[in-house]
Amino acid sequence: MSMFDYDARPVTPGVVLVGTRASHGAYAIRDFLSRNGYPFEWVDVDRADAVAAVLAGAGVDPSALPLCILPDGSRLPCATVEQVAAGLGMIAAPSRSEYDLMIVGAGPAGLAAAVNAASEGLRTVVMEAVAPGGQAGTTSMIENLLGFPNGISGSELATRAVVQARRFGAELLLARPLVGVSPDGLGHVAELSDGTLIRGRGVLFASGVEWRRLDVPGVDDLLGAGVYYGAGPSEALACTDSRVVVVGGGNSAGQAVVRFSRYAQQVTLLVRGRDLGASMSHYLIDQVTAIPNIEVRVRTQVVGIEADDRLRAVIVRSGDATEPAWLPVDALFICIGGAPRTDGAAGSGLVTNTAGYLVTGSEVAREPGIDWPLRREPLPLETSRPGVFAAGDVRYGSVKRCAAAIGEGSMAVALVHRRLAEVGGG
Amino acid sequence: MADQQVVAHPDAAASAEFARVPSDERIAKAAAALERNGIRPLLAATGADARGLVGSLLTDGAEVYNNTSQTLEAIGVADDIERSGRYQPLRLRLYRMDREMQAREMRTLAASPDYVVGSVHALTENGSLLIASASGSQLGPLASGAGHVILVIGAQKIVSDVATGMRRIYEYCYPLEDARARRAYGVPSGVNNILIINKVIIPGRVTAIIVSERLGF
Repeated sequence: MSMFDYDARPVTPGVVLVGTRASHGAYAIRDFLSRNGYPFEWVDVDRADAVAAVLAGAGVDPSALPLCILPDGSRLPCATVEQVAAGLGMIAAPSRSEYDLMIVGAGPAGLAAAVNAASEGLRTVVMEAVAPGGQAGTTSMIENLLGFPNGISGSELATRAVVQARRFGAELLLARPLVGVSPDGLGHVAELSDGTLIRGRGVLFASGVEWRRLDVPGVDDLLGAGVYYGAGPSEALACTDSRVVVVGGGNSAGQAVVRFSRYAQQVTLLVRGRDLGASMSHYLIDQVTAIPNIEVRVRTQVVGIEADDRLRAVIVRSGDATEPAWLPVDALFICIGGAPRTDGAAGSGLVTNTAGYLVTGSEVAREPGIDWPLRREPLPLETSRPGVFAAGDVRYGSVKRCAAAIGEGSMAVALVHRRLAEVGGG
Repeated sequence: MADQQVVAHPDAAASAEFARVPSDERIAKAAAALERNGIRPLLAATGADARGLVGSLLTDGAEVYNNTSQTLEAIGVADDIERSGRYQPLRLRLYRMDREMQAREMRTLAASPDYVVGSVHALTENGSLLIASASGSQLGPLASGAGHVILVIGAQKIVSDVATGMRRIYEYCYPLEDARARRAYGVPSGVNNILIINKVIIPGRVTAIIVSERLGF
């Protein structure tokens, strides 16, 4: 018995990751571990004492970075996310030969669908490329979700939802992106990136959105080296006493600046629009404007960056100013909305709008040249292929809010039931 | 307690008195006393046996908090809880939370697990359990917050009475724990809070597994 439960850290060994802060690959692994809730120790290769401590005095070959040491002591040189996921036992084969419902994506919409489908007895599998929680999973605090008067973090919401879905018997297949979904008789067959094939009678795309890229030269070269998309849950502590810039005007940007204000010396929010009211919830605007170390600059865009081995400054242009301004910064977080994650859907021939969002319901019939095969109209949330549904942020016309995604995911299950009754087969 | 004083080791007399596994009769006496006090006693010959007993008591899928414990680490129970995938290990959930933004969530989650698994610093022959804590965070769930409490106790922790148990804490456990805390966290420990469980009212809530081996301190 210890007298000191100092910070509730796990007592068993975690993952150790050795690399350079500027490495894209190392950042991808940090982000993956962080979003999946795996404890890890980050060791910057420049810290010789720390490297010696984790490698028992041995040096490290720079060509072997990033080096990942798993809890069982095995080492993965030049580690990739896929190797780390496999090494941690996260890759599981589907347990059934066929499911009633295959759900693509484990964000709020996908997990809500999984809980509802499994609780009603549907054989349910969820396929998730990165980590449960989706875009909401990186949100530090959601304060307007019904039933959580003190707010709940996106990661905790996802953790609870995963537990709930599994308790009802839903299966989760993690860390492998979907390649595509093809028709298979009256059902469908999904293929994952590692070649795993999964058969299902119904499909729900709840694959959400990924962060839209900031179209400024050089930005993506610094990913993980001062530039991050989203609120970067693995990076918050590293921002202690630093200067942080967040780009974006939505709730994700608002939640990010509130969080970073607790750690950083100064947080600057850059908003392209005239004010925050257009896309940020009122409660967040109140918080953002009341925190003294947050500065909001509206009508402001990033037009360039200055960097050596990592980001040093962003160059911004504000309002009617003729000259750009130079803003020294340690970390830049980009939260400028989403682009639909439809990799597996687009290749499957499902109809999307010009921005790439999946078209559903009555909108399907309005698409030119659509070849809808049934006598009935598409059901609400049904895509251009019968039995394939879409819910949440990936769906054209959806409301980009966590509660709305949960509602759509839950609603989709009732529609899946109707489709399954239509095709029969038990 | 002299919190800032570095005490690396207990003295030889304390080690001799408090690190010895007692006779089977004395273990049986303590177990019988625990039962009279509403605490379910289980006896294990080895740490491996105790590990199996803990596994049989925990429910799959339950929220389990494993207290920081040399005993649990030594016999593999900490690993079972955090890594087996059978349970919801609360330490991993707490670890991923933001200390600034989610302090309230963390407090709530840690305070009321389905199961807390830990150990004690002393068990008296009359069936009282003594647990000291620097932060106090472990004591609330043990006393009432957790749904079920499972304690794994190396038999060397059996003492004659509460007064001797207090001496065990100050003279033996504290120096060892202080050295561990300095190594692990870079801060001193302290006997800042002490919980004494004399009797448990809710039948079956607390199980004490006494192991006939020297485990932890």
